[in-house]
Amino acid sequence: MSQKLLDVENLTMKFGGLVAIDNLSFSADKDKITSIIGPNGAGKTTVFNCLTGFYKASAGSMFLNKENERLNLRKFSDFKVAQKAGVARTFQNIRLFPQMSVLENLMVAQHNKLMDASGFTILGLFNSPSFVKKEKEAVGISKYWLDIIGLTHRADDDAGDLPYGDQRKLEIVRAMCINPHLLCLDEPAAGLNAKESAELNKLLLFIKNEKKTGILLIEHDMSVVMEISDHVVVLNYGKKIFQGSAKETKNSPEVIEAYLGTEE
Amino acid sequence: MEKKFFQTSIKDSLFTGLIALALFGPIVGLRTVAKNEVLEVHPKWFIVLIIVIVCAVGRFLTNLYVYNRDQKTGIQTSIGKSISNFLDTKGYQIALTAIIFSVIFPFLPFTDRYLMDIAIMMLTYIMLGWGLNIVIGLAGLLDLGYVAFYAVGAYSYALFAIHFGWSFWICLPIAGIFAAMFGVLLGFPVLRLRGDYLAIVTLAFGEMIRILLLNWYQLTKGPDGLTGIPRPSFFGLPFKSFPDEGEQTFHTFFGIEYDPMQRIIFLYYLILVLALITNLFTIKIRRLPIGRAWEALREDEIACKSLGVNPRNTKLTAFAIGAMFGGFAGSFFATRQAFISPESFTFIESAIIVAIVVLGGMGSQTGVVLATVFLIGLIEVFRDFESYRMIAFGGAMVLIMIFRPRGILATRKPTITLEKSSSK
Repeated sequence: MSQKLLDVENLTMKFGGLVAIDNLSFSADKDKITSIIGPNGAGKTTVFNCLTGFYKASAGSMFLNKENERLNLRKFSDFKVAQKAGVARTFQNIRLFPQMSVLENLMVAQHNKLMDASGFTILGLFNSPSFVKKEKEAVGISKYWLDIIGLTHRADDDAGDLPYGDQRKLEIVRAMCINPHLLCLDEPAAGLNAKESAELNKLLLFIKNEKKTGILLIEHDMSVVMEISDHVVVLNYGKKIFQGSAKETKNSPEVIEAYLGTEE
Repeated sequence: MEKKFFQTSIKDSLFTGLIALALFGPIVGLRTVAKNEVLEVHPKWFIVLIIVIVCAVGRFLTNLYVYNRDQKTGIQTSIGKSISNFLDTKGYQIALTAIIFSVIFPFLPFTDRYLMDIAIMMLTYIMLGWGLNIVIGLAGLLDLGYVAFYAVGAYSYALFAIHFGWSFWICLPIAGIFAAMFGVLLGFPVLRLRGDYLAIVTLAFGEMIRILLLNWYQLTKGPDGLTGIPRPSFFGLPFKSFPDEGEQTFHTFFGIEYDPMQRIIFLYYLILVLALITNLFTIKIRRLPIGRAWEALREDEIACKSLGVNPRNTKLTAFAIGAMFGGFAGSFFATRQAFISPESFTFIESAIIVAIVVLGGMGSQTGVVLATVFLIGLIEVFRDFESYRMIAFGGAMVLIMIFRPRGILATRKPTITLEKSSSK
């Protein structure tokens, strides 16, 4: 069997009587961008919330295949999905730490690594050389990402003071700072103008090609979806109605029907 | 525009006068006096009139000079800006001056027993404020029952010192550990709570500890309190005017006259050192991963989870470390007073400490000091006018909230900066 990065099998999520996701199966490749699209309320964000441990799925399994282990994401609860399995995510409404500086935002993302290095704070209190070294490395990683999104000059400003488009980019690189295997982006292009969308595409392609990180993308902005997706999964009412390449999706009658309705 | 503003201000102040009349009319104006077993009403309308005028005129003036956003020279912006600019640029020098001043304070010519007592009390509050600042200011967990940890520290110190005769320096860490354990105990059930719900539970926790101390008579002697708590000694040398046979005391060891001030001065330095340790610890830990995680948790818990930060451990450490410093301060309190009873640990103490942290500016270490000096100092200045103390206290809070709505010092400095760490 081919090694996919993520295998979602028969995932079902019920809220009381409401079936938000109905027996959904799909997979995402390493170093590929997989888009999940669908009309409003199709259950896209719910899929993310199940994947990243914010919801506990009612049934099904989600396997993350690392080099030599196969983890069932259902077994991890909220923060452990990021900590142990390496699945990072961003949010539909940006969730930065607005009153902390840009650099601090990226440092918090490297918390677990630094926490170990600080010997549960005790070594850190005494400035042990190993901790100082690790902290410097972490600053280096943060600076690397800030250089990529061109925000190095604002590193010490409050994250909440950045323009909207920069906040989006910062949230994405913050998620990258946990060094994830899979990056889940919830509508990263929402509210961006054409130029910012183009920059976003560049950033996502960089992450895919250079970092070999699998990207799972929820998006409404079709210019983003069509331009960079390798694979598209279309949801409607919690069910998968289509999957294929971007081009195939564009021409699929089922998808057009889901979005525009049927011709009478 | 100008004229219209003037008109609305007058309307607004008249309205304020009306509210003041409705409030103070019955409360202040109608005074009941029992005379010959008959209750008579003695109206005091003149005082009510004065209060109403003061309220209306005060409102008018604040409207004109404080809340007037058209006028760029409004007092609020100018005073606020100059204060924060001054403190921003000269922060380091101010802190240094304050520390030097507090070190030489006991030997200044005008320092007497009364001032020393106030200084010790202020330092205790400063230490409590710094401890609570970890929980409220950094981790953003509104804790209204902080006095519980103060009480746990005081009682565990007192019990260990009385029953086992252990010295201050052994009992101090034990009291801190006990308080930290209670911090974790409180932390577990409230892990999922935030904001107002958390405030209610912590408030109840504070009361529970007090009521427990009041009713567990076998252990705590209930309302009678614990007496005979050993005084601290100077590295084994007690402060006594009449030493027992063959006993070395502080004044015989150093060959100086006995003076009751010696003990007071020692206590002063003791709390100064404890408070400074609290401060240094907080400043340092803020720059460590755990401190940054606390602040991140205050900002956005869901984002923290998505980055793999364990919210449970992070919150519990904040509660535990904050409580530990409360416990240290409690043991100091016990050894200073030599007598403790549940009466010292009422809700008003928690409220004062929370007020100090909030008015100082959440998370600001210097702000805590300023707020303490301001609030406790004010209470002391009004000591002779017993019944006006709380009015002064309330008035001070109102003033701070008008001029500095986010606390005296609201600016936050990043814990790590790119320039500094790359130039290292």
